[in-house]
Amino acid sequence: MSLLPKSSFLDRLTWPWKPESSREAGSAVVSSFLLHWFSHRTSLRSLSFKSSMYLGTIALNLFIILTVTGVILMFFYVPSVERAYWSIKDIDFAISFGWLLRRLHRVTAHLMVAVVFVHMFRVFLTGAYKAGDMVRSARHWNWVMGVGMLVLTLLLSFTGYLLPWDQLAYWAITVGTNIAAAVPMIGEQIRQFLLGGTEIGQPTLIRFYVLHVFFLPVILFALCAWHMWRIRKDGGLAVIDQVRRDAANRPAAIPKKSKTYSILGIAKGTSIAVSDPTTLNDDNSVPSSPFLTVRILLVSLTTLAVSIILAIVFQAPLEAAANPEVTPNPAKAPWYFLGLQELVGYSALMGGVLIPGIAVLGLAMIPFVDREQKGLGLWFTDSKGRTFGMLGFAVGIIITAFCVTLSLLFPTRELFSGIESQFFFDFVNPATLLLVLFAVLFFVVAKITKSKRYASIATFCAFIVGFLLLTYIGTALRGPNWDFYWPWQAWPHHPITY
Amino acid sequence: MNEEAKASPQTRRSFMGRLSGAFVGLSVFSGLWVVLRSLIPNVLYEPPKRFKIGSPDHFQSGVSYLDEHKVYIFKQGNGFFAISGVCTHLGCTVKFSPYSQEKQITVRGKEFSAPGEFHCPCHGSKFHAEGTNYSGPAPRPLKWHRLNLAPDDGQLIVDLFSEVDRDFRLVV
Repeated sequence: MSLLPKSSFLDRLTWPWKPESSREAGSAVVSSFLLHWFSHRTSLRSLSFKSSMYLGTIALNLFIILTVTGVILMFFYVPSVERAYWSIKDIDFAISFGWLLRRLHRVTAHLMVAVVFVHMFRVFLTGAYKAGDMVRSARHWNWVMGVGMLVLTLLLSFTGYLLPWDQLAYWAITVGTNIAAAVPMIGEQIRQFLLGGTEIGQPTLIRFYVLHVFFLPVILFALCAWHMWRIRKDGGLAVIDQVRRDAANRPAAIPKKSKTYSILGIAKGTSIAVSDPTTLNDDNSVPSSPFLTVRILLVSLTTLAVSIILAIVFQAPLEAAANPEVTPNPAKAPWYFLGLQELVGYSALMGGVLIPGIAVLGLAMIPFVDREQKGLGLWFTDSKGRTFGMLGFAVGIIITAFCVTLSLLFPTRELFSGIESQFFFDFVNPATLLLVLFAVLFFVVAKITKSKRYASIATFCAFIVGFLLLTYIGTALRGPNWDFYWPWQAWPHHPITY
Repeated sequence: MNEEAKASPQTRRSFMGRLSGAFVGLSVFSGLWVVLRSLIPNVLYEPPKRFKIGSPDHFQSGVSYLDEHKVYIFKQGNGFFAISGVCTHLGCTVKFSPYSQEKQITVRGKEFSAPGEFHCPCHGSKFHAEGTNYSGPAPRPLKWHRLNLAPDDGQLIVDLFSEVDRDFRLVV
């Protein structure tokens, strides 16, 4: 660093973040611990908001906010069935800014689930799980890891849900652990292992607490690091494939004339035309410090600001203390499980075990089904992909609405009232039909276009809207006794007893 | 390498290597076993599954709900039976909604005089008063629990461990 004599201590600390030359920017990445995970230059395409929407950065920021607020909340929360609820009350009413910490923790948890989902949609739609022709990267494994991180995010939210020990928590966990009990043969053993007994009690609370504050965050943190390390190993964002393609097609440049040699018998003319194989140059990229770092700073600060504003605007609800004797009506899971709860309403085995299992497995398998190496980093691949994406959105809404309508107008148990076999109803119900129709969509598009990429786009888009529509129905259109109500219909008044 | 060693690829070194591998495997397995087994409780500090609920003549004719035990006690004539209030779908507590007057229903080919029916608030399952599921996602009828009379003071005893079929009646 003799090249860059820095006088004051502050200068020595901050110079990597405000380099004054291209050369300083290069050394900055090497010499600063926090900068070393960036590459030295970043392509303009990668910097563009359009290519990634910075969703991974936002998700990581939310995770950091959750960790900080969560660790502070651990000072106040007592994981005991007698005191948990009252320690939450204390956090809300007796501890200075306790309400803000709890609201911030809750609102960022919800945001993180949403952002992680949207991040997955973005990665899928830009084909960023493909290895690519230019560099045979291992992006497909990073996608699989991402699916694992999505599941971990959901598990973290779910385990956090029980901790306030209010009615919402108690009954959401009752429903959740009974979904696990729907697994054939060993379901009841799994349920009792989760609960640490035969019913929800102190062992359950402490189990969920330890999972929530230690095991799951540690695993997620390790996977985050690995996920980002892989992005560096894979050459950056998927759009880099386009930049490499441009570089490969770049017309051979004549080197600047300084001296002229004639290479007789080897090349014509007086100089050699050289094609420039470097992907990143002064035209298509900028130094990561400060161009990437300021963008990340901006995104991080915006995430924090939005979280704080939302935390101030929206209260973190706390229902009555958990009461095993009274089930609230309707009893609803958190919003991201309400699509699942709608399906569970048709069959616990199909909606609660098989469909989520197939969905997670299906998501993880996408890169191995769609192996066409085209359109990396391009939304929907091309205009044809866009058409099939829109088709997927439309078909997804239609088939999901169709299956829900079917369940409302012709409940299977009344349609086949002569049949008593539960096996029959586990496999003949609207949830199974939905699954079959999604599969049909995939194979029809694959047949028409002879392309698994377009088939995946159509099915994935149908999956997105299907998930959103089911979530909306579960959230807004289901009332007491899980009956269907239009938004303009008032719910019948049910006396609430606590 | 001599002839003997060629005939059997097993050398002292490879044998020790495999033995060490086996020991590592065994240690990992026993470590996991210790952790997992410790998480399966041997003692449960839960409310008893077998409990007295009072003398039979304290119960009125019809349905009474014991909310702390989640059990419905039916008294029809001098016959008693107990139906669990835990929905067989996902474990929410079912609510009894009484009819304006008793209805004669035919379930499983048998006449039954039903004072109402059970509704589950979580996913809308519906059950006849004698427990049979007829609508919604519930996979099985509600459980019937055995009722006994205590030999010492003649109180009713509900036994949550013991399940009985839907023809059970404790005649007092």
